[in-house]
Amino acid sequence: MAVMRIGHISVRVMDMEAALKHYTNVLGMRVTHTDADGNQYLKCWDEWDKYSVVLTPSDRAGMNHVAYKVEKDAELDVLKQKIKDYGFAVAELPAGTLPACGRMLQFTLPSGHEMRLFAEKECVGTDVGSIDPDPWPDSIKGAGAHWLDHCLLMCRFDPEKGVNTVVDNTKFLKEVLNFFQTEQVMVGPNGSIQLASFLSLSSKPHDLALVGAPTSGLHHLSFFLDSWHDILKAGDIMAKNRVRIDVAPTRHGLTRGETIYFFDPSGNRNETFAGLGYQAQRDRPVTTWTEENLGRSIFYHTRELTESFINVYT
Amino acid sequence: MHAHDTVQNPAPASLPMAGQAIAMPATSSVTLACTGEQYPCRHDESLLHGMLRLGRKGIPAGCTNGGCGVCKVHVTCGQVHRIGVISRAHVSVEEEAAGYTLACRTAPDTDVTLDVVGRVRRNVMRSVVGGGNATTSESAR
Ligand code: FES
Ligand SMILES: [Fe+2]
Repeated sequence: MAVMRIGHISVRVMDMEAALKHYTNVLGMRVTHTDADGNQYLKCWDEWDKYSVVLTPSDRAGMNHVAYKVEKDAELDVLKQKIKDYGFAVAELPAGTLPACGRMLQFTLPSGHEMRLFAEKECVGTDVGSIDPDPWPDSIKGAGAHWLDHCLLMCRFDPEKGVNTVVDNTKFLKEVLNFFQTEQVMVGPNGSIQLASFLSLSSKPHDLALVGAPTSGLHHLSFFLDSWHDILKAGDIMAKNRVRIDVAPTRHGLTRGETIYFFDPSGNRNETFAGLGYQAQRDRPVTTWTEENLGRSIFYHTRELTESFINVYT
Repeated sequence: MHAHDTVQNPAPASLPMAGQAIAMPATSSVTLACTGEQYPCRHDESLLHGMLRLGRKGIPAGCTNGGCGVCKVHVTCGQVHRIGVISRAHVSVEEEAAGYTLACRTAPDTDVTLDVVGRVRRNVMRSVVGGGNATTSESAR
């Protein structure tokens, strides 16, 4: 049974015109579908499924849901039973609930985030095709993001009251959906409190990240780039487009990834992320970051957390 | 000019030479009641942008795009106008009518006085990490 990767993320935006300019001109995505309600569906050039980002018009920012893709449709029945047996409510949304997408399982994580699982989505192919392809297409715009790589969810966390939905989510995702832990940040007395949890489904250092916060929300959605040089160029593109940059190009200790954090025109944080860091495997020892090195785990060079990284999310 | 461009990309302020008549962009003075911080802000830039551009402090800065809510302020004196969409998760219609707004999406028309609306709350990382009780300003979350 295999949940494979992040399939799409549905995000609220307050100004669709500005959002489309951002996701197409800055990140380099392409609109592949617009529905009757004005929702926009976009893909990156190196993705083969029809969309990985859904933008929905709203009076606020934030995430509607995140969906992960399962290898085979029949596995959804098995997963549905497993989720039920774990004690969680799970709904089945029929095929076509989202355009070009098969049936979806819908459930709520302990942190309150809506997660979905699906197995089928229309395959439109990458922009270089699958027969004798070139390494990249001439149509690349902006940063030319390859794919939606992962997201980071802020999870309700109040250890004094015994609330830690980072731990609750992690347990469910590992036991039921077969994610595996690659890294974690442990804080508090004897490093006994899990503040951050990085989970993978693949050979990437993470497909989903969870961090504790006073309230749940979306910290960022992240797009993959090849190299450090691509990150620098992405920074130039953001500057040209007057994009608000939260954290200028640097490296994470966690995942070893190279990064820029920035905001879309509705204030949802984006990341461009490069470097696969290491090969994640199920038997690779979990990397643990201690409280003393919390700053270094996130911003490897400056080794200090920034106020906005902690407090600003949607 | 599109309102969004105005916020993100104001033209550079001109520096007139002595005796030269160059039209300066209209500015007003912004005062933060809590700290007494005062800075000039153009009528076509956000209250937050004016502060950041001059390297001043006092209003928390986040997304600068009206979505995260950390820059929430209460305009207690003076006139302002909105220059972009603000998240209703952070400022309701009623609150806006009562003078609350997001500093990254609001520009001054006159001299203004602002209260930074951060409830003081314990920061998760700092309260757990090191067992301290450091606080940080936060707006509606
Ligand atoms: S800085 Fe995010 S809403 Fe103003
Ligand atoms: Fe990330």
